[in-house]
Amino acid sequence: MSPISVSILLFVARPSAAEEPQRAALKAPKAEAPDRFSVNAQSETYVQLYRRALVPGQNGQVVPTELAAPIHEYVSANARDVDAPWQKDSIGLEFAAWGRVWPTDSSIERPFDGDVQTASIRLEAGPAWARVGRQQIAGGAARFARFDGVMVGARHLGFFLEGYGGFTVLPRWNDQPGYHHLGAAEDTLLVYQPPAAKRGNYWLTGARLGYQTAKVSGSLSFHNEQATGGVDRRNLGLDLGANPLTEMSLGASAMLELDSMRLASARLFADATPHPLFDLGAEFLHTEPALLLSRQSVLSVFSTDGFDEVGGALTAKIQRWLKLDTNGYIEAYRGTGPGARGDAAVRIILGSAYPTLVRIGYSRVIAPKNGYQAMRLSLSRRLNHRLSSTLEAYGYIYDERVAGYKTSSMYAGTASYQVSDPLEIMWTASVAQSPFAALDAQTMLRATYTFDRAAKPRGY
Amino acid sequence: MSARFPVFLLWLALTLAAFAACRSESGPARFPHQVHLAGIACGVPGKPACLSCVSCHDVVTHDSGQRMPRAAVCERCHQDTHQVKAVLAVAPIRPSGEIAIDHDKHLAMPEIRGQCVPCHAGVVDAKRPPLPPMSQCFTCHEHEQQWAQAQCTPCHESEALRRTMPVTFLKHDTGFLRHHGSVMAERQQAQLCQSCHTQAQCQACHDVTQDLKVETRRPEKIESGQVHRGDFMVRHAIEARSEPARCLSCHTVQGCDSCHVARGVSANVANPLNPHPPEWVGTNTSSSNFHGAVARRDIVACAGCHEAGPATNCIRCHKVGAYGGNPHPRGWKSARGVDQEMCRYCHE
Repeated sequence: MSPISVSILLFVARPSAAEEPQRAALKAPKAEAPDRFSVNAQSETYVQLYRRALVPGQNGQVVPTELAAPIHEYVSANARDVDAPWQKDSIGLEFAAWGRVWPTDSSIERPFDGDVQTASIRLEAGPAWARVGRQQIAGGAARFARFDGVMVGARHLGFFLEGYGGFTVLPRWNDQPGYHHLGAAEDTLLVYQPPAAKRGNYWLTGARLGYQTAKVSGSLSFHNEQATGGVDRRNLGLDLGANPLTEMSLGASAMLELDSMRLASARLFADATPHPLFDLGAEFLHTEPALLLSRQSVLSVFSTDGFDEVGGALTAKIQRWLKLDTNGYIEAYRGTGPGARGDAAVRIILGSAYPTLVRIGYSRVIAPKNGYQAMRLSLSRRLNHRLSSTLEAYGYIYDERVAGYKTSSMYAGTASYQVSDPLEIMWTASVAQSPFAALDAQTMLRATYTFDRAAKPRGY
Repeated sequence: MSARFPVFLLWLALTLAAFAACRSESGPARFPHQVHLAGIACGVPGKPACLSCVSCHDVVTHDSGQRMPRAAVCERCHQDTHQVKAVLAVAPIRPSGEIAIDHDKHLAMPEIRGQCVPCHAGVVDAKRPPLPPMSQCFTCHEHEQQWAQAQCTPCHESEALRRTMPVTFLKHDTGFLRHHGSVMAERQQAQLCQSCHTQAQCQACHDVTQDLKVETRRPEKIESGQVHRGDFMVRHAIEARSEPARCLSCHTVQGCDSCHVARGVSANVANPLNPHPPEWVGTNTSSSNFHGAVARRDIVACAGCHEAGPATNCIRCHKVGAYGGNPHPRGWKSARGVDQEMCRYCHE
């Protein structure tokens, strides 16, 4: 984060006389509680180094390899509880973006790339609020979508209403250089250039009406997303939650695809803590995958087959230093035998001030055509108040050979050094042997600079 | 390479890790509060005055960093300045960050009568945390309205919330990761999740247009439920078959093929290798290798390569009048008319 960026952020986020009351409060502890606001900014720089091959080498071609040393920069900043002329603590700002430089020659990567992930301002006035800019909508009928537009909402007596609309953020990388399309009339490979997306054709709108108390909550949501050609997604969502006991929560959600009037997904779940040592969870999920495809996809009308999953999780905190995590799910598919997945892991923490964490996990996945067993060992150790490290080892055994290989393994490690309060440097490296690489070695250096500034009642 | 070799390496690493863990230093010892408060002869002639919490801690000060005793306080009794510095260098762990609490006001309340230990029981009981858990605050403060609205500030500082995992309310356990989308929907989105999280944090996982995966950005988070950790490159085909459509939570089907094409492993490149078995297409529809049933079971996997709008090669056989037959399964229906653009690809 450059000093200029920090200065701009501070200027924008500075609340009206936010700091003056705090200074006064220090002198007179019983003065009126000072104003509060916070500004957080973070810069992360990643420098990677690895050699890669484009696998598997078409028709026996010699596999070309290339050295890669990409440099990524992520920046994010947000300010909260900033005063507005009409109301205290009523402005929030958020910005996040990333950029990449690819300094070495590459057949598939651009020399420069990047995107703005979020750039929004949130305003509150009484029970109403509005957010403008590049933002996201998540959960319910929308699932997850990013858009450039406006979201407004209001709450009153436990009820809340939200509405949004704008232009969908399109993936920048969907153009496919050198793309040949399989098929068409004579089974020849035709060069297929998808038409360039017109931004104006991609827009979305939606709304959510809900009710929320400490014991129950629920919402009904509608999401409509358009693409070139017409409706991309048009869903109705229902989400319910209840906390009948302090130790128990229940939830249900369903999403109705409005074109076919079929349930695209439905989920029931319950979490409980019957004893302080145990956490239990149970879940049922039904999904109809074709309904999650775009309505503009020809393939979306080729299937009505569903897929069901039922299972649960158990966490046992046997001792303060010993925890057991397990979960298991069974999947039912139409036309093939059932599948299953499960994990069991033991976590041990030794020491208190500078703890050592050991985690040993086993996973089993049984899926149509193939499955695998995996073991994972993780070790984390804080060496002193500035230095910490992790080591991990993964081993996989596949039920059926993948590209002729039955196993793969991977070893990874990190070392982090807190140079100062805001600055941390981390070095990481990994070595792997897999069906796709006799030896895969990668390394990365990360520098994280975190800038926090706050003015609020600090333990007055 | 022998199949046993990686397993052997894994067990070797496991043994070494267990050995290292057992030998690990536990760091500086917990400060012996009980000895100072009750284990020292005091208050009689020839002995020092008895200590209380405020003998060392200035609890009235605003800044919690200033509430820890200064070295000079310890050095009134302890001559070993090196040891004093080592003890004071260890800051107490504040799992929930700073809490806004008026100590002066609390100590003056008749229920508390100036006693620190009822809240800070951990200073004399090694089995309890030195700082009170939130349930301790809730024995007096109900905060029902704030609880209902998940309003954590101003008791918690907003930046501390980014590092604080809920323990009781909305417990973020293993199951939570699976249904957090539903929790987001049923409550006020802007109020609940964003009291701790920023949108950028959501996008660290969900924005697949970014170049670095969250697993690459956060390799030190060995306990987080990151989906793509380890050798996901090999596993991803198995995972996609295991839970059809789960990938669509973040990825578009176009994303599958744009990655496959870029790396030369798609059928949609020049000189492709056909990934399908014999009799995948053709006239032998009774073959177990025939594509129909497989496609209906996991149409998303088909879309991973064949999603290309009007250029989809499925149309060649399955359009109206062609020999592939009606691809719409039993029970399928649509509110759209056949004059819609997508429908017209087949219903010319």
